[in-house]
Amino acid sequence: MTRFTTSILAAAAVLLPTQAFATIDDSLSMALEAADPFVKAGFSVREDYWGGDLPAKTTKAIVHQLFKGNEYWFWMGSDVKAAKISVHIYDTEGNLAEVEAWTKPLKDGQSAAARVVPKKTGSYYLIVEVEKSPEERTHWALAYGFK
Amino acid sequence: MKYLVAVPIAFAAASLAIGETPQKIDVSSFPSQAKLIDTVVVPVPSEIFGALDRVSRVHWDQVLRATKDQAVGESQSQIALQLGLIIAEGFIAVQAQNTAEVKNIGGTVRKLSKALGVEKHVTEHANAILKSADAKDWITVRKELDRTLQNVRTAMLDLGSEPLSQLISLGGWLRGTEALTDVVGKDYTPESAELLHQPILLDFFHKRLASMPATIKKNPVIDDMQKGMLEIRPLVGVADGTQISERSVKDVNLVATRLVKSINAKIN
Repeated sequence: MTRFTTSILAAAAVLLPTQAFATIDDSLSMALEAADPFVKAGFSVREDYWGGDLPAKTTKAIVHQLFKGNEYWFWMGSDVKAAKISVHIYDTEGNLAEVEAWTKPLKDGQSAAARVVPKKTGSYYLIVEVEKSPEERTHWALAYGFK
Repeated sequence: MKYLVAVPIAFAAASLAIGETPQKIDVSSFPSQAKLIDTVVVPVPSEIFGALDRVSRVHWDQVLRATKDQAVGESQSQIALQLGLIIAEGFIAVQAQNTAEVKNIGGTVRKLSKALGVEKHVTEHANAILKSADAKDWITVRKELDRTLQNVRTAMLDLGSEPLSQLISLGGWLRGTEALTDVVGKDYTPESAELLHQPILLDFFHKRLASMPATIKKNPVIDDMQKGMLEIRPLVGVADGTQISERSVKDVNLVATRLVKSINAKIN
């Protein structure tokens, strides 16, 4: 585990009740594992992150401020290995704003990511989804980085 | 869930077709805007400064403010706002690549954190800031400043002081906004002014200030912050794509400067 990951998890440990910690912690680890190559490519990963749990075939949306001139990656992780998850980015008018998105299975879970180069400064919608999962509720976490 | 407060958590949204990525979604089916802003993640100053550096040649050393011998505020609210200010100053010092000032800021962060009773949560990061500043490892300094911000806010939440956690964020945002408007105001371009278009952040802070406990709201500094947010909101909260004028940039700078002074009032 990288020092960066350890630090984030230490912060999360203070935040979360034990039960939630055990699962969102693992999902965050998956998101950060997906982020790792991009950190090496110069992306600064924020300490703040989002997390929760969702039944299969449901989505959640997050409104987030982005700045024109930056490039952003959003990395979603889940500790449920058999789940299928996704993250997509839309502008305030509801148009798909990302330039690429992918999903990738990991050794101990799942990851998905989306990259956006904002055409304007302002609010954007981050849509996370658990497309399918064998679990009743699937924990997820979403981290982001910029450069 | 308790951690909904601690970690920015998403909210229910419109359903999407499974297995495909729609090119367009109906954002009007989201919950009300008032509900959306509850979950806003406040950007760190370097996120904005980096974007500004791409459209303007910035002399960050002229924006940087000396912080040595920073006095500690009288109330916890004031100290929380001060801590936000000083961490934002740290990001400016990194942009200016000023080793001495970064080290001063590392020490001041420890002092203010101690006054808030959360020093143990920042010691490791403050030490890393000092060490990395000596090595001129600016990427690590930025990372440690973000970790400091997160850890202090987390510690405040752990102590049941969510309002103080929000005031730390507000202080950081204010100093970042003051610096941004200072730079943009001196070399205005519509492109650089666009970075001020942050309506969800203004709404977020305004709502947070309005919902603070009476014991905190009675502090005149908090009253100043509330009034200031209302003044700034119409200047930068214009519709997407609408140009923010040079006059508006300067007006926001006047308000932000006044609020920063208000935070440091009675202690300088």
